[in-house]
This record gives sequence, structure tokens and C-alpha cells, in this order.
Amino acid sequence: MTRWIFAGLAAVCVAGAAPIAAEPGIGAAVPNFRAYDMHGKIVDLSEYRGKTVVLEWNNPGCPFVQKHYQSGNMQKTQAAVVAQGAVWLTINSGAPGKQGHMTGVEAQKFVADQHAKPSAYLLDPQGLIGKGYGAKTTPHMYVIDGNGRLAYNGAIDDKPTADKADIAGARNHVLAALGELRAGKPVSVPESRPYGCTVKYAS
Amino acid sequence: MAWIRFVLMSFALLLAIAPASAQTTGKGPHVRIELIAETERPAPGSELTLAFASTPEPGWHAYWENPGDAGLPARASWTLPEGASAGPLRFPVPQRLIIGGLMNYVYEAPFAPLVTLKVPADAAVGDAFPVRVKLDYLVCTNEICVPEKAELETALTIGDGAVPADRRARFDSWRAALPKPLGTPAKYQIDGKTFRLEIPFPAAASLTGEGYFFPLTDGAIDYAAPQRVVRDGDRIVVEAPSKRPVSKVDGLLAFGSQGFTLSAAPGNVAPASASAGVPSSGWIATALLAFVGAIAGGVILNIMPCVFPILSLKALSLVKAGDQAGNPRGEALAYTGGVVLTCLALGGVLLGLRAGGAAVGWAFQLQDPRVILFLLLLVTGIALNLAGLFELSAPGFANRAAARGNGGAFLTGALAAFVATPCAGPFMATALGAALILPWPAALAVFGGLGLGIALPFLLLGFVPALRRRLPKPGPWMATLRRILSIPMFLTALALAWVLGRQAGVDGMALGLGAALLASFGLWWAGRRQMRGLSRAWLPALPLLLLALAAMALVHPAGVETARAVPAGTEPFSEARLAQLRAEGRPVFAYFTADWCLTCKVNEKGAIETDAVRDAFEKGKVAVLVGDWTNGDPALGRFIEQHNRAGVPLYLWYRPNSAEPEVLPQLLTQAMLQKLAGVNP
Repeated sequence: MTRWIFAGLAAVCVAGAAPIAAEPGIGAAVPNFRAYDMHGKIVDLSEYRGKTVVLEWNNPGCPFVQKHYQSGNMQKTQAAVVAQGAVWLTINSGAPGKQGHMTGVEAQKFVADQHAKPSAYLLDPQGLIGKGYGAKTTPHMYVIDGNGRLAYNGAIDDKPTADKADIAGARNHVLAALGELRAGKPVSVPESRPYGCTVKYAS
Repeated sequence: MAWIRFVLMSFALLLAIAPASAQTTGKGPHVRIELIAETERPAPGSELTLAFASTPEPGWHAYWENPGDAGLPARASWTLPEGASAGPLRFPVPQRLIIGGLMNYVYEAPFAPLVTLKVPADAAVGDAFPVRVKLDYLVCTNEICVPEKAELETALTIGDGAVPADRRARFDSWRAALPKPLGTPAKYQIDGKTFRLEIPFPAAASLTGEGYFFPLTDGAIDYAAPQRVVRDGDRIVVEAPSKRPVSKVDGLLAFGSQGFTLSAAPGNVAPASASAGVPSSGWIATALLAFVGAIAGGVILNIMPCVFPILSLKALSLVKAGDQAGNPRGEALAYTGGVVLTCLALGGVLLGLRAGGAAVGWAFQLQDPRVILFLLLLVTGIALNLAGLFELSAPGFANRAAARGNGGAFLTGALAAFVATPCAGPFMATALGAALILPWPAALAVFGGLGLGIALPFLLLGFVPALRRRLPKPGPWMATLRRILSIPMFLTALALAWVLGRQAGVDGMALGLGAALLASFGLWWAGRRQMRGLSRAWLPALPLLLLALAAMALVHPAGVETARAVPAGTEPFSEARLAQLRAEGRPVFAYFTADWCLTCKVNEKGAIETDAVRDAFEKGKVAVLVGDWTNGDPALGRFIEQHNRAGVPLYLWYRPNSAEPEVLPQLLTQAMLQKLAGVNP
């Protein structure tokens, strides 16, 4: 148990840029990071170069995250992305003691119970990756193209509510961006306003 | 099934991390919301104001229309009788709340968004007018968020539109909390990584509290980054890190609890001149600069009439002590301690009030006539003492106590600092303005610096004996000097009486001067008894002094109307006066203005208050009514709203025998007004 906590705490960020306010712009190279996943394995973003990578900020206690998990919308999106050969990294930047913070074991249980389909669930209890990317809400989504450049930054869809009934008529910005990237077209909505709870960073 | 598992798992999770985040969230709703109509009997064809009177549970916050980095604004879906329609929610000025480095624009205290409902003109008196609304909103603590719904309704009946007095008062207080629209358009420029916003705002308009720009347009600026808000002549410049290009920027400029809504288009904005105002959001450099400024200001304060006599007396007592006796260093340190601690205490009180959300300037003492009256009595007493009318033998007061040990020095220091504060307001505005908006440790450092500055000359005297030796030897000249020093003290008393008159009107000033006279009689009497060597010399003076102090309970701030002057040839606006003038068959020009409205000031200087227009009005027997909305008077606010204007400037021309006024354009010319008055230029 303690091993997991230490693994979580020791999540490292070797980003070239400063961790705060270095939010990458659309089309700019994203900062690299290395972090422990829920199994204690180190995941290095740069190893996925050549593949499209989706980042999802997660806090299982947040009603907006629950909207997309309880409805199965997030799992469906994850499955569709992974099926395309892209990579899905779910990241938890909740600080220890704050809502939604999880150890590796707890994260494994969450992923199993929810039938979630991320390529990896990363633990960022110090919020280094979150602050490096300027992640503000849960959920907050990023799409990185095969060249390591930011293609999308924002909400999962265009219906900023906590109401599951709104998912049916919403535009899923992540799937739309991935479809456009695959077709070699520019991403038509590269940025949107993320909605949800604040990421529970250590202050 | 999945969701049950999820709930169970979340529960297990909660237990697992319980020790750190144990908190009772309780049952919702976490915001108590009441839907209140201004009138139960709205008139057909009228506009009806509704309020969502909202009270967040302690520790919880609801969101402004732009929630900031996260969160959601409230959404209302209405169910209204046919033909009725609801306008957008109008929100009061929000607060800032930074959680984990993310900015939230919120309400933690009770607040009330207002909505205007259009009642159909064909509604029949006596008809039921049910109003139903579903409000979706998010409410959060620093830890968790809960989306809530409120289904609210109120059953109204079409009637005469009468508003009960108590309800009018509640709505007036809610209206006063709404931001006021700034008629003059603003502009902004993105200069590299800096977003710079220029807002036309008259230099003469007074503002208190910290300036902050709440953007309504998302994505223009980084919410959590510190802003720099500078008053620079007839404009306010806001600088913040830019995020991405936008085609226009709407937002709310707030100073304390005052708010102004504005809309800005792209344009060229020059940076604020270096000499302008103080940066609003501090860095250490700002704090240091303010600290040094505060010390310098404190030193200058020593030669101000309100402090100098006390300081001189302290210096004299050191000379008296000479080189052989006493402990000049200890005394200097005690005096410094007294000054600095008093300044820190005053600063602490101010910061406490600031934290309490009260919009106060440094001279907040000066804003309370009771404190002014107390200072008036105190200063009069000191002046009479300096003039030699009586001697103080009671411990703890200026000169005699000062001559004693360190305790006396400490008290003198405390007194010097307290008496210095009214002077500090005007002279120290810059450093103190910074103190009000810096984080509290830096702000306290500024107050401490001010105290240190006041104590510095005396500290030097205590530690550099050479300086002391250069001081003249004690002698009869001291008594003369003491008498002379009473003059600035009397002048201070005069200034305080003037301030009291400004605040509490002629009655308040008369009361204050009467109290001062009463206290003087008492002190004089005590002085005569002292001279005759009577025991208990103070006995007859005490009741008089107490009576003078009792006047503090009687003095009240004068109403807003008496405090604000109107230009010559005009009268203050009131609906009663307007009706009276129209009944007399006179043409009436009613204009509504505010100190913070630049367009208003331009029109007044350039057209309304010119000699040509004044003459034309006189010839045409035009009555001119001025509504000054600077302080957000709710009665004026309602009248302005009735004319479909959210704010000032508003110019109304009432022709004799015409039912409705003509609303004049927002830019006036002399010729336009002369023509209306029936005089050809």
C-alpha cells in the first residue's frame, strides 16, 4: 500500500518548460512528462510520438465526471479512440486529502468498476502535469497529434451541464478532432471552454 | 447497475481518504433561494422585477455569470403566462476566490440576481399571473461541487402595480448591489503577452477599494494571474496576461463593492504613465516601494500640525532629562514601539474590515462622524493644555506622562500615531492605497513603515546624543514654545470641525462645536482649581467632559443629498418636484449624471453648464433638475430604468402639455439645448 502512495507522490515531470503558466498553445509543441501509472509503471509521453494522444483529467468525486462515466459516454469515447490506434491517458491531479485523489490500488478499482478503457491511468498528486498543461477542470481534455503538437484543448463536448440527458445532443469535441486529424483536415474547433469542477490541486 | 457500483466505490473511496477530507456535506440545497416579486399585483404592460434572493450555506459558494476557470453560471428556464417574457439575469458584483491556483468568480454571502419580466399589455386586472422558473446552478465548497436545481414559483395577480414599502427597500438594496453601466465605450489592445484595457473614467470621481476587472468574455485574459489596475488621468488602465485574441471584450470593472459594466472594442491603448497611481496587484517590489514610501511619509507627518506638538514635547522631555538622567534610548524605543504598534493595530482593524467586505479607505475613521467628534474633543483638549489652560496630572496623557518612564513614552507614541491618522489619509494616499490592495502581510508592513517613519526623528534623538546636545537648553522659552505649539493644534481642531460639518451637516458641526465648548469649560474650570492648589481639581470638570463625550451618540452622518452640491441655477431631481414644475406648465430639462461618468462630465462642461445654455434656459424659463447617481441612489435608479436606460447619462426634455418626455441623445451640443429652450443661437 505504502509503495503505491510513494509511487504516486514520486510522479515526475521532466517538462522542458516551467510547470506553472506554461500552458501550451494550439499548434505548439507540448511539454513532455513522465509519471507513474496506477500499476507503478513509468509512462513517458515522448514514447508515443507518432501516435495521437488524448489526455483526460479525472476526479471520480466530481459530478461532471460522474455525468460522463455514469452515462458511459467517457468509456465509449475512450474505446473509440483506442480502437483508432490512438493513446488515451487519464490523469488524476488531485492532491492527497482532496476530493478524488486516488492511490494506484484505488485507481485500479475505479477503472475496473467503471469498465473504463484508458491506455493508462496516471497519478499526478503534486499537480505538476496538470499545471504544466494548464488543466483547470475535471473533465478537461487535450488532443496531441503525432508530431507532439497540441491539436485540441477544452471541454469534452459543447453542453456545459452536469445533466446526463444533455449528452445525446452534444457535439463530442474530442472525437470530432480525432476524426478531422485522421482525415488530414485542420481541427475545426481547436479550443473550447472546459467545464466542470476545479482540479483539486494542492494549493 | 453500474452506477450503484460506482456509488459504493465512491463511498469506499471516501472512507479510505476520510481522515484528511472528512467533512459533512449535508443535504442540499446548499443555496437557499427565494423567488420574490417586487409587486404582488403587477400592472398590465408594465415591467416587473423579480429577485432570486439567494443565501449560500456557510463554506459554500455560487457562481457569477462568468464562473472563472471552472464552475457553471446559473441557468433559468421560465414557465410564464402567454405574452409574458423574462429578460436575462442581472448579477451583483461578485467576489474572487482562488482555489489551488484556479480563479473562481463567486458569491459566498447572500446575493440576489434580478430579472425583469414583461407583463403583456392585454392582461386583465384580476387575472392570475403565475410565474414558474427552474433554476439550474452549481454550488461548491473549496473541495466539492454539487449541481442543484430549484423549482420556484410565485402566484401574482394582475393589478395596480403597487409596491409595499418594505419590499421596495429590499429591492432597492439589491439594485444598489448591481453594477452600473458605463455609457462610454472602452477599448483594448493585445501588446505581446499583455492584454491592456482602457476605460474612460473621470479623474475626479472617487473610488475606494481594490480595482479588478471581471471579464465576461471568456478567453481574453488569464483569470488567475494578477492584474494591474491604474488610474491615469481621465482613464483607468487594466493590464493582465493575455490568453488569445478575441473580437470584443465585455466585463465588469469593480472597485470594492462598486461595479461598472463595460464593453470594449479593439483599439490602441497606451501603457499607463509611470507616475500614475499604484499597481493594483502587488509583487514584492511594490510592497518594498510602498514600505519605503510609508517610512518617508511617516517622517513628513512629524511636521504636520497634528503630530508635531506631541513630538516636540517628547523631544523637550528628553532635553529636560539631560545627559545625566534617564534612559533616552529606552524611551525612544518605547515611543517607537507605541507608534508602530498603534499603526499596526489600526492597519489590522482596517484589514479586518476589508476582509469583512466593507469598502473602506484608509481614512475610514474620518468617514464616521462620531470618531471625528471624538478627535475634535481630544485635539481641543490637547490644544488647551498646550495653551496652558490646565495641567495634566492624570497618568497616560501627553506631556506629563511623557516626562515619566518608558510607559509614558509608549503611550505618547500611541497617541501620536492615533492623532496622525486623519493627516495620513491625504498625505499618504499612495502608500496606503497600496496597503489596501496588497496581500495582508505586505499591507501590515506598510502600516508598520508608516509608524516607523513617524518615530524615526525621535529615535534618532534618542540614539545620537550629539543631536540632542544641539537641541536648545531648557528654559522659559519652552513654555513659550508650548503656547505657540497650541496654534497648530487649534488649527487641527478647526479642520476637524470642518470635516464634521461636511459629514454631519450644520447641525452636526454645531453639536460638535458645542461639545468642544463644554469640554473646554470643564478643562478651564479644572485648570483654575489646579492653580489655586485645590484638591480634587478635576471633580467639577468630569461631568462636563462626560456630557461632551455623550454628544458622540447624537451625531449622525448627514444624508447623501445634503452632501452633494448641485450647479447654480439647478435643483436636485425628485419626482415630486418634477410633477410640481410640470403642473406649473414650465418646460423641464432633467439630466442624470454621476461623477464616474465621463460622457456626463463632457456634456456638462461642453454644453449644459455653459453660459450660453444657462442664458437660454433662463430666457425660456426652463427648469433644470439634476439627478446625481454617483452613489447609486435607488429612487433615481428606478426612474432611470423606467426610461429604458440602464444608466447615465440620461437627458429628458419635458415640453409643457406633453405627456411623455423627449429622450435626448447621449451627446449634447449647446445649439441643441438652446433650440429646445426656444432661443436661436
